[in-house]
Amino acid sequence: MSLKKFSELFVDLDSSNSTNNKIEVLKNYFLSNDPIDNSWAIYLLTGKSNKRFISGRYLKNLFSQIYEYPEWLIDTCYLKVGDSAEVITLLLKNKSTSREKKLSKISLNELLSKTIPDLSKLNEEEKNFKIKNMWETLPEDNHLIFNKILTGTFRVGVSIGLITKSISKLINIDEEIISHRLMGNFEPTIDSYKFLVNKNINLQELNSKPFPFLLANTIEDKIFKHSINDFQFEWKYDGIRMQLIKRSGNVSLWTRGQELVNESFPELVEEMSHIKDDFVLDGELLVWNFKEQIACDFSLLQKRINRKSPTRSIKIKYPIIFIAYDLLEINGRDIREIKLEDRRIELEKYFAKWQNKTENNISDIFKICDLIFPKDWPDALTYKEKSRENNTEGLIIKKKTSIYSSGRKKGIWWKYKVDPMQLDAVLIYAKGGSGRRAGLYTDYSFALWKDQELIKFASAYSGLTNIEIKELDKWIRKNTIEKFGPVRSLKPEMVFEISFEKIQISKRHKSGIAVRFPRITKWRKDKKINDADSLENAYELMKKIL
Amino acid sequence: MRTNQEYLIRYKDGNLYCELADIWIDPSKPVKKALITHAHFDHFTFGCEEYISNKETAILLKERIGGNIKIKTFEYGEEFKINGINISFHPSGHILGSSQIRFIFAEEKWLISGDFKLQKDETCKQYEIVKTDYLISECTFGLPIFKWDESKKIANDIAKWITNSPEKTSLLFCYSLGKAQRLLNEISQTNFKGNIYSHGSIHKMNNSYKKLGIDIKDTIKIENKKNIDELKGSLILLPPSLSKGSYLKNFKNIQTAFASGWMSIRALRKRSGYDKGFPISDHADWDGILEVVKKSEAKNVFFHHGDSEALSKFLIEKESINVLLFGK
Repeated sequence: MSLKKFSELFVDLDSSNSTNNKIEVLKNYFLSNDPIDNSWAIYLLTGKSNKRFISGRYLKNLFSQIYEYPEWLIDTCYLKVGDSAEVITLLLKNKSTSREKKLSKISLNELLSKTIPDLSKLNEEEKNFKIKNMWETLPEDNHLIFNKILTGTFRVGVSIGLITKSISKLINIDEEIISHRLMGNFEPTIDSYKFLVNKNINLQELNSKPFPFLLANTIEDKIFKHSINDFQFEWKYDGIRMQLIKRSGNVSLWTRGQELVNESFPELVEEMSHIKDDFVLDGELLVWNFKEQIACDFSLLQKRINRKSPTRSIKIKYPIIFIAYDLLEINGRDIREIKLEDRRIELEKYFAKWQNKTENNISDIFKICDLIFPKDWPDALTYKEKSRENNTEGLIIKKKTSIYSSGRKKGIWWKYKVDPMQLDAVLIYAKGGSGRRAGLYTDYSFALWKDQELIKFASAYSGLTNIEIKELDKWIRKNTIEKFGPVRSLKPEMVFEISFEKIQISKRHKSGIAVRFPRITKWRKDKKINDADSLENAYELMKKIL
Repeated sequence: MRTNQEYLIRYKDGNLYCELADIWIDPSKPVKKALITHAHFDHFTFGCEEYISNKETAILLKERIGGNIKIKTFEYGEEFKINGINISFHPSGHILGSSQIRFIFAEEKWLISGDFKLQKDETCKQYEIVKTDYLISECTFGLPIFKWDESKKIANDIAKWITNSPEKTSLLFCYSLGKAQRLLNEISQTNFKGNIYSHGSIHKMNNSYKKLGIDIKDTIKIENKKNIDELKGSLILLPPSLSKGSYLKNFKNIQTAFASGWMSIRALRKRSGYDKGFPISDHADWDGILEVVKKSEAKNVFFHHGDSEALSKFLIEKESINVLLFGK
């Protein structure tokens, strides 16, 4: 099958807003292509291949060099388009003179398993020649896909859920099973695809895979009408959500992002392998302060996530813990269909058993989450407000009678997060956006007062409506003081309410503080710049929390 | 170099103005004398004392303003004099009646391109190459990322888009004057043979085109349609102003698309909110603008209607053409 089919699939998926339509399009694609190309298609669509083989900058330079195109002109085009791969694709349309060569009918498999990975084996000159040759022999419709894969920017609005649904329709097998088959690593091989569409349901085959995660929804007011006794309350930890699996004696740690992370946390794997039972636990991995029995900041966990085979000193400096929320499988028995309150009983029972039996004290690295028992909803609110004290983000509320299904199912689990921290800040810089926001000024920097000076303290790009973005864009163009490349410094005039999750001291920033997940929550047109907050206000906020 | 005031044609209050003839080109506010390049709403205004245009444009203008205006008309190529200046209209290929306007005074030639395109369009006269000393050109799509596909290809894509969803009603949004008629002409040559409906504003322009001798496929006025189920599998042409708001509630099971040159950029396509974008334009693409600049043999070029920075720099650096800016 040629790359053309996949390019058509991309165009169809990209230009459809209807879920049913997309499922239909995907199903038809899978029906009419080879298993290996299907496997690659799933691999690409689920975003497993975001490896960057060549940077956007490199691609632009190469184009400029081959076709003697001024670089500044390509850069100007980029500002309008917001994606290097697309700019080059559009510019290539002008190069019809080079279209005398025979068109290539390369398959998706060949492109992805050979042509592109082989580029890294070539020296620069050979590499450039190869890319030029691809540009000149690939049919025009395939240029975007090729350039996007090269630059690791292939993205299209298709979720795993859509793939699941289309495969489920294709072979007429329940979505839950397809979803389970899609968990874990998906290798772009014939076997992966054959396994996915196998009509025999053999649970043994799923042994190496985690269950699809159940996710919480944002709290809705209607929940307060229910009795507080219908729900189980837990702290919402800010760590890595994980399934800890022990099957046939082997332990595996699967993140919600479906990565196997055994190598980063060997001490946990080691400890859990001493337990005799087999099990699947759903929980959270954290760096833990054992002295005060409190979670450490997420930033400490970051020091461990990407470090394989950590040294002894790292393990001591950043001690981890796995906090189990739920028991999903025990000694080969899938218990996801029984009620949460009953699963909790099982979880407590087994935890007690394991604690007694193990020689090493597993509680050093593994515990089950404490439950909270608010008397009524106002009491729950009080707990939520207190969550910052123990370094959690709020509460997770679970219906006691719920089964463990998959995805973000409505009406089962809710997250009740602490209100964000807020400061009013002045807009001082703006930068052009990329992708969907190309051609508009959508990346903003905000400042707080320090004496008579405005000091930058955060950048944010989300939170405004499209109408507000357009309005602000217009204002920015009229109120620019200076342009530095894509950045404009602006007349200090506009005040915005900026919300964020965390605030801490930072030596790297001129303001001396760093905030996490800053976002715009209100355009304070009612405020003048003198009404904006000062750095002092920010420090006070920090003190209040510590 | 001359100062702004010394040019035959200059910018005044945001409009092109020839002081010597005391005449405005496509003015945005009422004036004594207005030369009109074409009948799009952003190129004329109500209430001028006198309008001067090409014949077809005059008829379309009267449709839009009403019959009671004072309007003088000329054929393409026919010269007339105002205050010693020789003026003539020439086809610009944008829509029916669209014109470039040439001024000749004291052996100096000026050409206002008006909105123009070079692409094939059977509903209006092909762009005519006119030689000039000074060129004032539009540059709506003045970047090399704009490279139009043949309109036949786009029409086939549209036909495929409709026939691939036979259970849906396909709403295609497009400007009611020019683009709609060009699309009708192109689509009628594809293998889509279903019903085509058009909104009142488009229907009216279709009739004007027909009266002026342009062969436009008959469409059904959508307002006369009662049974929603009959719309399944058919195409409906609507003006873009109706794409937001409650009008769409008149239909069920729809897919929407916008026909515009801007739709060649994915980010704009996504942001537009339409399901699909068909990049087809009645303006010249980058190559088109360059071709007109070169073939006009103009030694001095001004740009308006668009972002001209990159285009100007390119012409100056690569083509050694003198690009000037209008003073404010």
